[in-house]
Amino acid sequence: MKYILVLVFLASCLGLASPTGAVPSFARQTGMACAACHTVFPELTPFGREFKLHGYVLDNIKQITGIDTSARQTLAINSLPPISMNVEISYSHTGAPLPDSTIKGALAKDGDLLFPDQVSLFYAGKIADGLGAFIQLTYDGSADHFGLDNTDIRYAHHWSFGGPNGNNHDLIIGITLNNNPTVQDVWNTTPAWGHPYASSSTAPSPVTSAKVDSGAGGFGQTVGGLGVYAWLDDHVYVEITNYDASIPGGAHPLDSTQADVVNGLAPYWRVAYEQRWDRNSLEVGAFGLDASTHPGAGTPLRGPTDKYKDVAADVQYQFIGEDHFVTFLGTYIHESQTLDASILDGFAANDRNKLNTFKASGEYYYERLVGGSASYFGTSGGSDVQLYAAAPVVGSANGSPNSRGYILEADYLPWLNAKLQAQYIGYQRFNGGATNYDGSGRTASANNTFYLLVWVAY
Amino acid sequence: MKLHHVFALFIGGALGAIAAAHAADVTDATPSQIAALQQTIATCGTCHGVHGRSVSPTFPNLAAQTPAYIEAQLHAFKNQTRADPDAQAYMWGMASQLSDATISGLAVYFSGQSAPPGSGGNATLLAQGKQIFAEGVPDRQIPACASCHGAQAQGNGPFPRLAGQHTAYLIRQLLVIQSALRTAPVMHGVIKELSRSQMEAVATYLESI
Repeated sequence: MKYILVLVFLASCLGLASPTGAVPSFARQTGMACAACHTVFPELTPFGREFKLHGYVLDNIKQITGIDTSARQTLAINSLPPISMNVEISYSHTGAPLPDSTIKGALAKDGDLLFPDQVSLFYAGKIADGLGAFIQLTYDGSADHFGLDNTDIRYAHHWSFGGPNGNNHDLIIGITLNNNPTVQDVWNTTPAWGHPYASSSTAPSPVTSAKVDSGAGGFGQTVGGLGVYAWLDDHVYVEITNYDASIPGGAHPLDSTQADVVNGLAPYWRVAYEQRWDRNSLEVGAFGLDASTHPGAGTPLRGPTDKYKDVAADVQYQFIGEDHFVTFLGTYIHESQTLDASILDGFAANDRNKLNTFKASGEYYYERLVGGSASYFGTSGGSDVQLYAAAPVVGSANGSPNSRGYILEADYLPWLNAKLQAQYIGYQRFNGGATNYDGSGRTASANNTFYLLVWVAY
Repeated sequence: MKLHHVFALFIGGALGAIAAAHAADVTDATPSQIAALQQTIATCGTCHGVHGRSVSPTFPNLAAQTPAYIEAQLHAFKNQTRADPDAQAYMWGMASQLSDATISGLAVYFSGQSAPPGSGGNATLLAQGKQIFAEGVPDRQIPACASCHGAQAQGNGPFPRLAGQHTAYLIRQLLVIQSALRTAPVMHGVIKELSRSQMEAVATYLESI
């Protein structure tokens, strides 16, 4: 079981904990400032949501075009390639130093400078009429790894209908091809673009998360999915996307050396309703994921599977004033686990477990210049001494996934595309305990993390 | 206004002959022209409302606005001669690729949409605002707004319709004109001495009618 824990810890260090999404190539393509689509990046405004739902294709620059003899457009691409860079440099400091990775009893260096934490190259913009892409290639400083990060390629078509001018109603139907459940979503309550928008990739994080979530248990960048969505009258959103395993690196075709391999298709669904009035918008929605997986990690990808059923509710409120910006984000995820395979393979002690996650964040910014946020998060679930086994730092002495804490963050943006961030994560409970939670004497507060970040996108 | 009339004027504009009298005769716009204008209207509608009535006061109502004013502003965005913060953030990009014919088509379409209904407001502010609008502020040498914008604030050619416009948008424009972030030669002198509270009063009144 420790092998699994190490795998999920390494996975969490491979960029899953640090979403990135400020893309100046969109600004170059549209001719519009970041402020049109973002309150403070990467959080989207209503217009930013529309831009994404339309397929990233709104353009206001000269196009290189082609037509055939029937006047059908065969090419429409930007005269400038939609390329952007994103650079993150960070310093992390935990409440107590982490143990040395090899020498028993020794400690690692106190504090960790990552130069870079991440460097990302984006292709983000229009490919053809209706077809656009958000493709992120990231070098991860802590993993010394370069690979495909969040990716969403989509095609959308817009119809107007009804009324004397045939435009009383609007409908967008779109197709998305992506590698992370919820990366295609347009609200910041879903995990891929959820709060916090950047956090330490080297500090310890709780032992697990729901499959649809972005933590250690999540599917980000280890699946590929094709989905269809509809957006009606700027109010109603529905989507269904089916995912299959797509794990970069390692053995291919996927075999027993991989871990947590999706079996068959894992459907993700999403419904949401948004109401806008004056400078306000309120979204209420639900989403979920049904997945069956083979644990792998030395066991064959055959026979019984583990089944995960995630159901989540979310609410987002935004006030976008001339000088004042207020956001509230709330997400609750309930996961039911039926671990038929893990029981047989000795990875789990219970055949059924529950996992509940709650996150709530409030943000305030003044003139998109200074601001910050306060958040509360919590994960709770049944104890399972195999699934959440004792291990230094990353394990649980009592087999519990229960963690909770708060996040305080202050931000300063000298320019719309540059953010200086100071963040503090305080754990009241970590992997089931406040003291000696891992069976090796570590306290939850030892994982409290102070995180400084310089984040620029250009 | 029916879209085929807009298309008529749209095409008429392209031919250099914008005239409502010709509208009924020019109804055979090509499907691609119709689709292009529909798409542009839908794009504008994302912020301004497809019928020119916006939700957020960051974005002005365009319904029933005078066509001359809409055209002038779209050209000013395209030429980057209107340079207030929101103009730069949103409209410089959005207007940059609009042809003269499309600008004319948009002006005709949005000016033909039903005016937004007035909304209520604080009675004291409404009374003060109505007085400023109708009579100006003589002791500050501020003339009556109605003298250019029309007795009902319905607009007049290049002078925009103000009736039913969002209060916050109007105040924002008065401030950026007063600080010269937005160039508006006549208005610079007219509102030089207009106070913030007077702006709030007159803007509240204008949204109410």
